[in-house]
Amino acid sequence: MRARVAAAVGVALLGFGAARAQVPAAPPGTLPPVVAPADNPGSAAKVELGRLLFWDPRLSGNGSTACASCHLPALGMGERSTVSRGYPGTIHWRNSQTIWNAAHYERLFWDGAVGSLEAQAQSAATGAVAGNGNPAMMEMRLRFVPEYVRRFRAVFGTEWPRLTHAWQAIAAFERTLVSDPARVPFDRWVAGDRDALSPAAQRGWALFSGKAGCIRCHEGPLFADQRFHALGVPRLPQADAHVLLQVTARWQNLQRGVSREQYASGDDDLGLEYLTRDARDRGKFRTPSLRELRHTAPYMHNGAFATLREVVDFFDRGGGDAAAKPAWLQPLGLSDDDKRDLVAFLESLSMDELPAMPAPELPPTRPLPVAGARDGR
Amino acid sequence: MSGGARARAACAAILLLAAAAPAGAEKPPAPTARPPALQALPPQARVDTALAELGRQLFFEPRLSGDGSRSCASCHEPARGFADGQPLSRGYNGSEYFRNAPGLLSVRLKTRLTWDGRLDGADLATAVRDMVTEAHFMNADARLVQERVRQIPALMQAWQRAAGDASEPYAPRLFTAIAEYLRTLDAPDTPVDRHLRGERVALPPALREGLALFHGKAGCARCHHGPLGSDGRAHRLGVPASPAIAGDALRMITLLRHHATMGVPGYMDEREDLGAFVVSKVDADRGRFVTPSLRILTHTAPYLHDGSLATLEEVLDFHLRGGGAAGELAPVALEARERAALLALLRALSPPLPAHPESVPQDYAVLPRGRR
Repeated sequence: MRARVAAAVGVALLGFGAARAQVPAAPPGTLPPVVAPADNPGSAAKVELGRLLFWDPRLSGNGSTACASCHLPALGMGERSTVSRGYPGTIHWRNSQTIWNAAHYERLFWDGAVGSLEAQAQSAATGAVAGNGNPAMMEMRLRFVPEYVRRFRAVFGTEWPRLTHAWQAIAAFERTLVSDPARVPFDRWVAGDRDALSPAAQRGWALFSGKAGCIRCHEGPLFADQRFHALGVPRLPQADAHVLLQVTARWQNLQRGVSREQYASGDDDLGLEYLTRDARDRGKFRTPSLRELRHTAPYMHNGAFATLREVVDFFDRGGGDAAAKPAWLQPLGLSDDDKRDLVAFLESLSMDELPAMPAPELPPTRPLPVAGARDGR
Repeated sequence: MSGGARARAACAAILLLAAAAPAGAEKPPAPTARPPALQALPPQARVDTALAELGRQLFFEPRLSGDGSRSCASCHEPARGFADGQPLSRGYNGSEYFRNAPGLLSVRLKTRLTWDGRLDGADLATAVRDMVTEAHFMNADARLVQERVRQIPALMQAWQRAAGDASEPYAPRLFTAIAEYLRTLDAPDTPVDRHLRGERVALPPALREGLALFHGKAGCARCHHGPLGSDGRAHRLGVPASPAIAGDALRMITLLRHHATMGVPGYMDEREDLGAFVVSKVDADRGRFVTPSLRILTHTAPYLHDGSLATLEEVLDFHLRGGGAAGELAPVALEARERAALLALLRALSPPLPAHPESVPQDYAVLPRGRR
């Protein structure tokens, strides 16, 4: 039995680069340059337009909820709440992820529902528990902002702003939100500054890449394997007492087309299974990057853990309960000192201070002239 | 356009309108038809009272809107004849609407709904769905509404009384329930109705003269006939473009977005309300709006599709002048007594409103895990 499980695990891990966990790893380098998709090359003007749009609540149903409403610069481009606040009258069902380094993800959202920042922006702005924006309405709002009309024309060459281009501009802005290695202690240490890491953080790195095995999934410069794993993260304690969370969870299950039994029996977040329709993917979520953790509490897909120490404790226990939990997720037997060292290392992956990002002054909405509408504007 | 082209366009328009039915004054009356006349209100509709009661509660329920702030009653207030008293309705938060909210009493008798006639009066449930999910009205996701209802015990009790204990709410049936409630909202019967039914009624002389003028010299009945005093068709009165829209970016946004979603060619340049054109795409329908009901007018001021006239006197005088530029109306010269008689008739169709008890939204409740 044990042999069969081990063999199965071995097969499962072939594609994962499983051996890495056992071999002392070379420290990952700094993040490579961001590659923009061929159909949306970045430019200074596009990034600046995207920055304005990121803060613009006109890109929501009732004009209340901008991207920046749930991705706050002062909170590491995320939120402090477990699950995100969501659209007024609702609550979201997952933790708002940081935008820092999101440009390096192959899939976006915790279940990997979309494959580009452009698609993520659109999905978030239109989702009923996120932005709840109507596409045609949001597009028309942009067309009544003279400065946007000028900027979209300059960047995209269209007579009137198009919503697709708004998502492209926002994505271009987001691709500039990448950790600056000069501000990240671990990156400075890797670059040769031997004083950049405390002894505790250095011991933490050794644990991370060795005994604790974190690097199995948190690999590479992003400290993320771009894959999906079921850790058995506990339900939120309030999940069974929070009406709006229940409504949202059931609505998500309904609109994602789960089985009648699943819809009727509970509200668990099925994660990757929503996309693959494979019960073996139940409860799997995409490995998050470990960069900027110090600025982006709370943690996990539902924000269940408030501190890094809680996260380390969770992994030390071998994770939680999940049918799809991998066999290699086992209790680690870390000492208290080990845990402190790991946390010190994890904190060293964050910029010393996040750059200030003041909210831009948004350009005003103006009526279009009625007389002579056909004769030019 | 040449004469031939114009004739062809008119033919095309009639063909289109025969199919889509939202407009057009040109349709020739059937030769055998009696002259159109105001008619008495019909008997009450037969309704499913349990379903209508569910619909009543839903009508006053703000969680039927995207952000939980706007109910049907936000723009259709019972005390205002289910209109809102504003020249231009508010619409959803972050938006402003570009038309006047019509009253809803006897809405079941309308053949076309909304000022441009884009919705079928015989299908109130679909109209309700349109209002609930439309971005500029309530902007709600229908399935999210459904899941909210499941956690409002008072609504669930009403649902189960209407649909059975084992039944689970689903959005289309919720909209049908509101439609059923709307079918209970009748304009109050009046002495004029009893007179029109042939009952012996001591109608004041002014009302008798008003009725005679209405059907005769003043020509009102040409468009204002049937039990609502509406032909359900679209006409152009030549109401000047509303400065309240032209000066308000949020209303223009909603208007142009409406033109865009209705598939109007060159919609960015169509900055005035096109009316029935958005349905037919026939130029003759530009600026045509569906004839409103004449019931309970005194409770539903202001008037016209853009709410631009505040009083019945102004509306009557606008019609008697022959309307505005490029309108279909011809001027009518009336003596002051005759004008007063017509006004008396309109007021007689507006008796005091019956009480319409409002429903007070009840709290959500947590559902036990596993019982969803």
